[in-house]
Amino acid sequence: MDLIVTRGEREVEVSLDRREDGRWVVDVGDESYTVDVADAGELLSLRLAEGTESARDHVGRQFEVAVRRLSSRGSCTYQVSSRRGTDHVSVTDPLTHLLQQANPGAAGGGVVEALMPGRVVEVLVAEGADVAKGQGVVVLEAMKMKNEIPAELDGSVKKIHVEAGQNVDAGDPLFEVG
Amino acid sequence: MESTPNPEGGDVRIEKVLVANRGEIAVRVLRSLRELHIRSAVIYSEADRASLPVLLADEAYRIGPAPSNESYLRADAVVELAVSIGADAIHPGYGFLSENADFAKRCEEAGVQFIGPPSSAIAAMGSKIESRRLMIDAGGPVVPGGRDPLADEDAALAFAEVVGYPVMLKASAGGGGKGMRRVDAAGHLAAAFREARSEAASAFGDDAVYLEKFIEEPRHIEIQILGDRHGKVVSLGERECSLQRRNQKVLEEAPSPVVDKDLRHRMGEAAVRAAEAVGYTNAGTVEFLVDKHGDFFFLEMNTRLQVEHPVTELVTGLDLVRAQIDVVRGHALDARFDDVQPRGHAIEVRLYAEDPFRNFAPSPGRLEILRWPDGPGIRVDAGVYEGAEIPIYYDPMIAKLIAWGEDRTQAIERLGRALTEMRLEGISTSTPLFERILADEDFRAGRLDITMLERKLASGEWMPEDKPSGDLSIVAAAIAHAIRQQQVTSTPGAGADPGRGHRDRWRQAARRESTGGGTWI
Repeated sequence: MDLIVTRGEREVEVSLDRREDGRWVVDVGDESYTVDVADAGELLSLRLAEGTESARDHVGRQFEVAVRRLSSRGSCTYQVSSRRGTDHVSVTDPLTHLLQQANPGAAGGGVVEALMPGRVVEVLVAEGADVAKGQGVVVLEAMKMKNEIPAELDGSVKKIHVEAGQNVDAGDPLFEVG
Repeated sequence: MESTPNPEGGDVRIEKVLVANRGEIAVRVLRSLRELHIRSAVIYSEADRASLPVLLADEAYRIGPAPSNESYLRADAVVELAVSIGADAIHPGYGFLSENADFAKRCEEAGVQFIGPPSSAIAAMGSKIESRRLMIDAGGPVVPGGRDPLADEDAALAFAEVVGYPVMLKASAGGGGKGMRRVDAAGHLAAAFREARSEAASAFGDDAVYLEKFIEEPRHIEIQILGDRHGKVVSLGERECSLQRRNQKVLEEAPSPVVDKDLRHRMGEAAVRAAEAVGYTNAGTVEFLVDKHGDFFFLEMNTRLQVEHPVTELVTGLDLVRAQIDVVRGHALDARFDDVQPRGHAIEVRLYAEDPFRNFAPSPGRLEILRWPDGPGIRVDAGVYEGAEIPIYYDPMIAKLIAWGEDRTQAIERLGRALTEMRLEGISTSTPLFERILADEDFRAGRLDITMLERKLASGEWMPEDKPSGDLSIVAAAIAHAIRQQQVTSTPGAGADPGRGHRDRWRQAARRESTGGGTWI
């Protein structure tokens, strides 16, 4: 299975293969890893059995990782947490990825979702307004902390899915920019 | 009831207690109630229907919707509930209604015991100005200085002589460091005074400036006190709480690395005097600043059980919640409480649902995996269980991890070991921050002050270096994705390997990663 995986600024091609002995061989860019996987719902236990140069020191070690799917609109966004911290990783099949590149904003490309549960305290711009990448559109509050959620690309706000006072869950769409 | 100093038992019957709180402190109180065979009831909000205290209590009552001011802060409703269910007493925990003098008064009027000090003592200690005055009257040490604006340079010079250098000039209207000047000697005072004035005038439109003693390398050290209803107040020793962020304690320990028996005795006496001055009973904490010379100055008094009470429990062997209940029952403090000295060393860390490396962003959500540490010297006070949702409405502290050792080094090593055993996933927590603190040379040497944590955080020295490059997250997400796709398509093998021959084409299609080669973690 071939996938395009995005994590922060980094976008990389990933290829997976499940061997007959049950191990997964996962190529990430130029690196290759062989892992034993114990799958218990949202918890994966990965034991690195083999790896290319950069992973040699970690062979034999066990890594417990919780993987939670936040959304599956166009790309699937996963929250990945381990002892090293929490990451957000989005996984796209190559066809959808091509479509998104040809037409940003289509196939869910411009949809911004809540990364954590919270309450919408303010909507900063109106539908139809032009926004720049990084400009705050919605303010979310959780545990008495406010966070401004920015547009991920330049464009106009096509749709705002939430209003002030509303509660949202992780993965709920907040707004679309196209 | 004041007339029965009978250590076997007072004459106030406590057979049922309403716990007016949530989270780990509600669980903590429930534990002592169960041990004492006292029936327990707990209040809960809509968001806490399946919370741990609700599951553990003998009875649980819904008090309102999720927001605190519609549930846990409804003083009238809580007192009314206590009366209607026949509770003899209310334990307020910390936060919420615990330091609300009016609430304590309403309990008193309704004939329900408030497990805490008299409402008059809460009121007296509730105001910083009033409590400072009380402390001065009781002969206790306060930070020398005055809030009165200084008329001119001569007045400043004269006052600084009284207070002693170094001194700090501060703007009366102040805040944010504007109009603040540290002055180490008389020769520099006049110039600093003029600068502070003009800075204050331009920042706040008010040039009033006052002066107080500058506390060098201040530590936050507090004394746990306990008073019975027969006029006896004792000190149970100190806790060092200098590691703070935005005035929130992050790690606490007992004893303090810099407090010896003599200083402990003197601070204890000052704390007891402060408590006696307001007719204090029950558990309370007197907070001090301690400078690098070992001089200590009164900050404020907290009229409740503190978050960090377990470190005192571990080094004294006492159960402070039980002691609180015994006081309310009318028991007199006996010889066990006299001249208490710490045995060994205890350290507590507060686990917050927040990401210390993303500017402490809150991280509510579901606790997918939860495995507590265990073994020698480890105590966990938690308000959550695996699978529980951390609601968005309340304080992000979900648990406290406490280690005891024969000495400070062993306590540090045990806490460090416990952190490696712990698995707490699905949300971000402050755990990685504690790993850095425990490894920090200054911390290990006991060199602490109240600015240390923010200084180290700001310097960036604790930030993880390898965060943006690791492949572990990518591999995990890709495998999880593949497993789930397989489950969806349900055809064995489908999706797992749709032909690696296509790979080259996709390789061309995909934008090549530009951030260099991958590393596993």
